[in-house]
Amino acid sequence: MQGSTRRVGIMTDVHRRFLQLLMTHGVLEEWDVKRLQKHCYKVHDCNATVEKLEDFINNINSVLESLYIEIKKGVTEDDGRPIYALVNLATTSVSKMASDFAENELDLFRKALELIIDSETGFASSTNILNLVDQLKGKKMRKKEAEQVLQKFVQHKWLVEKEGEFTLHCRAILEMEQYIRETHPDAVKVCDLCHGLLIQGQSCETCGIKMHLPCVAKYFQSNSEPRCPHCNDYWPHEIPEVFDPEKEREAGISKSNKKPLRSRQH
Amino acid sequence: MLQKPRSRGRPSAQAERVREGGRGGDGRAPRGGVAEEAPSTSRGPGGSQEARCPSSQGGRRAEASPAVGPRSQKQLELKVAELVQFLLIKDQKKIPIKRTDILKHVVGDYKDIFPDLLKLAAQRLEYVFGYKLVELEPKSNSYILINTLEPVEEDAEVRGDQGTPTTGLLMIVLGLIFMKGNTIKETEVWDFLRRLGVYPTKKHLIFGDPKKLITEDFVRQRYLEYRRIPHTDPVDYEFQWGPRTNLETSKMKVLKFVAKVHNQDPKDWPAQYCEALADEEARARPETGGPAPSS
Repeated sequence: MQGSTRRVGIMTDVHRRFLQLLMTHGVLEEWDVKRLQKHCYKVHDCNATVEKLEDFINNINSVLESLYIEIKKGVTEDDGRPIYALVNLATTSVSKMASDFAENELDLFRKALELIIDSETGFASSTNILNLVDQLKGKKMRKKEAEQVLQKFVQHKWLVEKEGEFTLHCRAILEMEQYIRETHPDAVKVCDLCHGLLIQGQSCETCGIKMHLPCVAKYFQSNSEPRCPHCNDYWPHEIPEVFDPEKEREAGISKSNKKPLRSRQH
Repeated sequence: MLQKPRSRGRPSAQAERVREGGRGGDGRAPRGGVAEEAPSTSRGPGGSQEARCPSSQGGRRAEASPAVGPRSQKQLELKVAELVQFLLIKDQKKIPIKRTDILKHVVGDYKDIFPDLLKLAAQRLEYVFGYKLVELEPKSNSYILINTLEPVEEDAEVRGDQGTPTTGLLMIVLGLIFMKGNTIKETEVWDFLRRLGVYPTKKHLIFGDPKKLITEDFVRQRYLEYRRIPHTDPVDYEFQWGPRTNLETSKMKVLKFVAKVHNQDPKDWPAQYCEALADEEARARPETGGPAPSS
């Protein structure tokens, strides 16, 4: 609230309830965030017009700035869904993960993280992760136990599992981008288009540059002859579709109206 | 964030970048500098900033400039931010946060200004999140967060966690205790719960292990007090409301809950109603506010 170039907004109970409930989710999709926002307005201030989400969040972020946290917006790497999470901007040892996991479990995560970053696909196999169990700091962990810890990571939305392989949950990418870049400056991959951290993506087979799937989708949208932005060689991969929130809503409405916000595997 | 290698002095540098609205973490080389280095959180008793001041472990000093050297506004801000984060995370488990833990894990070298730090953190917690930092009992040196916002039924639909499904069981036990004159024997509790299909020895679909929940978890979270009744054979215990209950709810609220369950009016229990009213009046009287850290 001082020395800031941005004018600090005002918190009301609408914003507080929003923050409180947002914190119960590790990460939340845009549509659910909007629903949450409407709920908070309804509880506290029925008649007021619901502010545009971007402005609403910017307002809250201006207040959060002095606490070194912010509501960060990102996009899922696999299908380009907009997502939001409350992330820590100052990297200190007080962390959300540290409170839920023991020292050896955190170390298992670090090892898995390293394998994921070093891999070509952004996925690390369960076997490879479990083989590192002997190198863990702290209390000795057996492979059986490590398997359960990996599932705990999935439950808490730090990892995602696909066919016996693990990659980072979009929540982890949002929250830990800074930390990852700092601790793996050489191994880390970056998207050629948006310059953001890249775990999963497509690569040019000629010059090796990589791009996020949603970045590819946007860049090559309605382009019949996609070419690498760097070396101009033909882009050999399937171009994914750009995420369309409207289509999602139509599909969602047919299912059920008032279902509680569910965590999706990203 | 996971604990990083110590030598990096990121936070203040990072804060600058954030303020300029730039994107965090663009791979800039971390500053190894000392003067501007924001305090990395101290973990454990030895966690002082090595380069800072050798005699920083000294006691309180009367002079304006403490031996630890001038702290910039930014460093103080960061310390308060860490404290706020710590309190939020710790409170999630619903176990009271000990002052010693706060000092050990967050405050470290800033021990001399701990009361001010805590006050600032409490202000931010209330203004930004709507949580009030409250000392569990006077001089207990442990704290909890109380929600200043009333929970609303529809909250359950937009929450990310299940809230606490065990709250229902807790409310029932709290109700039992109050209706029975503020203290109840354990045997009576189970006599009642058995009628609801909750047994001490049987695993429950929703509550899991009810015995552990009631005699251990709720006690640890300070919702209940659980004391052995002397000279009983077989051994019996008694339950009373714990300090957290008095802070988070009230006799009137619990009476209203009991009334609702029975589909009656709170006034249908005149004795309890009077007691609840008296309690409301006592609460309405102005209290000495704030977390009042007893230093």
